[in-house]
Amino acid sequence: MCSSLWGLHHGFNPVLSRLCVFQGFKLLGILDVQRTPCARDAILHGAGGSVAAGMLYFLATSRVRRSFDVGLAGFILTTLGSWFYCRINNAKLRVQQRVIQEGIRNKVIYEGTVLDPSNKPKADARSGSS
Amino acid sequence: MAHPSQLGFQDAASPVMEELLHFHDHTLMIVFLISTLVLYIIVAMVTTKLTNKFILDSQEIEIIWTLLPALILILIALPSLRILYLMDEINDPHLTIKAMGHQWYWSYEYTDYEDLGFDSYMIPTQDLTPGQFRLLETDHRMVIPVESPVRVLVSADDVLHSWAVPSLGIKMDAVPGRLNQTAFITSRPGVFYGQCSEICGANHSFMPIVVEAVPLEHFENWSSLMLEDA
Repeated sequence: MCSSLWGLHHGFNPVLSRLCVFQGFKLLGILDVQRTPCARDAILHGAGGSVAAGMLYFLATSRVRRSFDVGLAGFILTTLGSWFYCRINNAKLRVQQRVIQEGIRNKVIYEGTVLDPSNKPKADARSGSS
Repeated sequence: MAHPSQLGFQDAASPVMEELLHFHDHTLMIVFLISTLVLYIIVAMVTTKLTNKFILDSQEIEIIWTLLPALILILIALPSLRILYLMDEINDPHLTIKAMGHQWYWSYEYTDYEDLGFDSYMIPTQDLTPGQFRLLETDHRMVIPVESPVRVLVSADDVLHSWAVPSLGIKMDAVPGRLNQTAFITSRPGVFYGQCSEICGANHSFMPIVVEAVPLEHFENWSSLMLEDA
């Protein structure tokens, strides 16, 4: 629907062109690499790992079919490794983000009250004055 | 809300829906890799000239294709169960709302402090104003305070209905004579749309749900106005 052939045959359609912005690019029709966090990087790393593994095996053994098998294994392992590494880092960032948001919210609520975490203890003021 | 020809989820408006989105991405990547492997094996089998008429068994590959799927299932099951139990947690709700399904509208009751109740009918297509969404808008929205835990008690007056709001990750059946409980927190202010999700008669497709999350002072003003109008 978003291909240029559609535009050629049916004329420019502003509604369809806006829809195409939403659709993204789906590998095998299921994995939206544009809108899924970490997907694009994982697939690109996987492609690189696949090419590297396949080429190295071929240079070492000159076996073509087995090199493709090794390339596929490299793709799967590199994609998985990159994916989980990125997802774990994202999860840690999300936790930090929630902690910071909670801290900002608490500071706004408690500012100027006894519970304000940025208040200095009153014992310092008393010892300083005497 | 959903946009035309949408296949994926709507943007999350609650922490539970965010977790569901992340779990979906995790599982989809596993499914994608398995599909790639299967596709490759199919192509390899079709294009090879090798055959082995005398193969009897192979312990190694049998072990691999038993252990690997078990490992994959564990990788999927652990986050799945985590989210399942997360969805069942109800942490001290600030507000309780009763959502009753009728043929063919929803009614909401806010009875924590005062007796506030109203019906929520779909706005017919011919009465929509420009910018409103067809088959999704209602005359009265369920207004809730943002970032406050809300408990919704769902039931029905006549036949089965289902109270569903996809962007909040909620779907709860409305069963006559039964009270079902669900709870959520909205992470951001906004308007979130849903539709009845259990076949309930001729106008099943025409009894939408609209949840509007607003700051607390706006919610208090709204509830005061609604009580005055009642």
